[in-house]
Amino acid sequence: MISKWFDERLELQKFKDKFLNKAFPVHPTFLLGEVALFSFVTLVLSGIFLGLLYEPSTGKISLFGAMVPAAYASVVKIDLLPLGVIVRRIHHWSAMIMIASVIAHLARVYFTSAYRKPREINWLIGLGLLGITLGAAFTGYLLPYSQFSVTATSIAYYISKSVPWVGDWIARLLFAGEFPAHATVPRFFFLHVMVIPAVLVSLVGLHMLVLIKQKHTEPGANRKRKEARGGQRLIGIPVWPEQSYISVSLFFFLLFVVVLMATYIPLNPIETFGPPSPVTPVMRPDWYFLPIYGFLKLIPGDLSISIAGAKIGPEAIGGVFFPGILAFILVAIPFLDRASEAHNYIENPLHRPFMTSAGIAVAAFLFMTTVSGYIDVLHIAPASMAIYVVVVSAAAWVISYLLLRRYGRAVKKGEHVES
Amino acid sequence: MVDTNSEGREGHVTRRQFARGFVLAVVAAAVGSVLSFLKLLAPSKKGGGYVATVSRGDLLVYARGSRMGNLLKASEFEPGEAVLVYPKGKSGNEANLVQLIRLEQSEFKPPTRPELTDQGFVAYSAICTHLGCIVGWVKDKKDPEASYTECPCHNSIFNPARGATVMGGPAPIPLAQIGVKVSRDGTLVFTSGFSGPIGPQV
Repeated sequence: MISKWFDERLELQKFKDKFLNKAFPVHPTFLLGEVALFSFVTLVLSGIFLGLLYEPSTGKISLFGAMVPAAYASVVKIDLLPLGVIVRRIHHWSAMIMIASVIAHLARVYFTSAYRKPREINWLIGLGLLGITLGAAFTGYLLPYSQFSVTATSIAYYISKSVPWVGDWIARLLFAGEFPAHATVPRFFFLHVMVIPAVLVSLVGLHMLVLIKQKHTEPGANRKRKEARGGQRLIGIPVWPEQSYISVSLFFFLLFVVVLMATYIPLNPIETFGPPSPVTPVMRPDWYFLPIYGFLKLIPGDLSISIAGAKIGPEAIGGVFFPGILAFILVAIPFLDRASEAHNYIENPLHRPFMTSAGIAVAAFLFMTTVSGYIDVLHIAPASMAIYVVVVSAAAWVISYLLLRRYGRAVKKGEHVES
Repeated sequence: MVDTNSEGREGHVTRRQFARGFVLAVVAAAVGSVLSFLKLLAPSKKGGGYVATVSRGDLLVYARGSRMGNLLKASEFEPGEAVLVYPKGKSGNEANLVQLIRLEQSEFKPPTRPELTDQGFVAYSAICTHLGCIVGWVKDKKDPEASYTECPCHNSIFNPARGATVMGGPAPIPLAQIGVKVSRDGTLVFTSGFSGPIGPQV
């Protein structure tokens, strides 16, 4: 009855025929993007609750008799609400899951070579989404204005400032002055709750639009099935009802996991960190910034290069060039691994020794730089750790390449025997 | 009739070429005008970074803990101990934060400036020269002479007996030394400003 009323006005049947019958290829790794998207939905919902209670100001107000920044006080008050701290943890855990799933999604696309022609555009949009997600996480660090927040943001301020030539200006642009400036918290708040989500939603829309236009890549097994059918249509389950049931289940399962984690696993206990004070605790950033953090520890202080009036010191090498080079490589991938014709099937990573082993090497490198973040606990000298990083990454590359090549030859031989 | 699709005659501009150029010019002008707003979004320099206001004659007070703001007494420290201090009345400026360390006077080696030390007390800027974290003290209980200054952020290590020279980690330059001496009443007083640049060297 109701659907008929809407159908007569909005021609829903047309929409349904056009979009809801689209085939969604089935593969166990095809849901990572959805996990990211659903984490974002949870972030928005919990974020609305937090945003309505948060006060983006560093002005001092009284909290239990002590004068503390209003931002810090407002977050302490959120924590004191019934279930308030749970909402804050839901927000933080969702952020971690979102970043993890975006990275896993990126890895999936890389290892199955789904970035190749014609999907270079969506690869680049996806990288933009990764960048902006990290930006959202980073701007969120500062908002509780605890000692942890201020130290982390201060480090980022000086890293921005270390950018050659324009660093001073970039730092003032991003942080609304010289950190800690009074304008930094309001600016980060606005970026975090308005600008970044708006850009993120637009990019997600674009990402989906390109996906709908280009259609999903298919598992390689579909190739033979399609040839057998003699058809050109994508093989998969329809968006409605099968895929929709999976998606809805996935969303609520994710929500269940996040609420469970938020209930039992505390994180970012700002009351323990306390408001900003003249002492820096031993602190590490969240896991996704650990490679940069660890890499910064490995650069010796006397390593510095001077080019055209700019001094590139250890801060710039660790904080700007390391992530910059990584980002550059990611952007370049689909233009280095070029394909002359369109690829619409995902590739078995075991059949691409060079690209797969390179990916494994990068993963090993990121893992080892993460370990570098713990050299103070592990009692390893930075110079020795730097050697371990290089040796392990290189070994991971060479060994995985040789193994994959051997595997490939064995497969070829096997096929030969079969025929 | 004018054929708008064809190339214009030699030296003439077709309607299409003109329209295209016009749109490009308008877009360029609009983008250019918006770019100028970026300048407004980056507030101008106020003088920049860490500017210490500590001066000769300032008394040393505890920077944190239960005795925050209280005057320090030389008798409260054994060799191998360190504490964060501010010049009295100037704790609002983090650039003034100093790590006061007590060692044995005989341990000091160059480039420590002996005229800035007294009775084993030596003081350095507490702002790490790498990325601005506040340095900590790693106390060796068995061998107080082996204690050292370490930044908790990226593990830069400074040798307090040798002018806070960088012994390891990413800090590019030593922490700046500042003169201290013990007064007759046992309190401590600054006898100079910082001997070098303080804060991140970016």
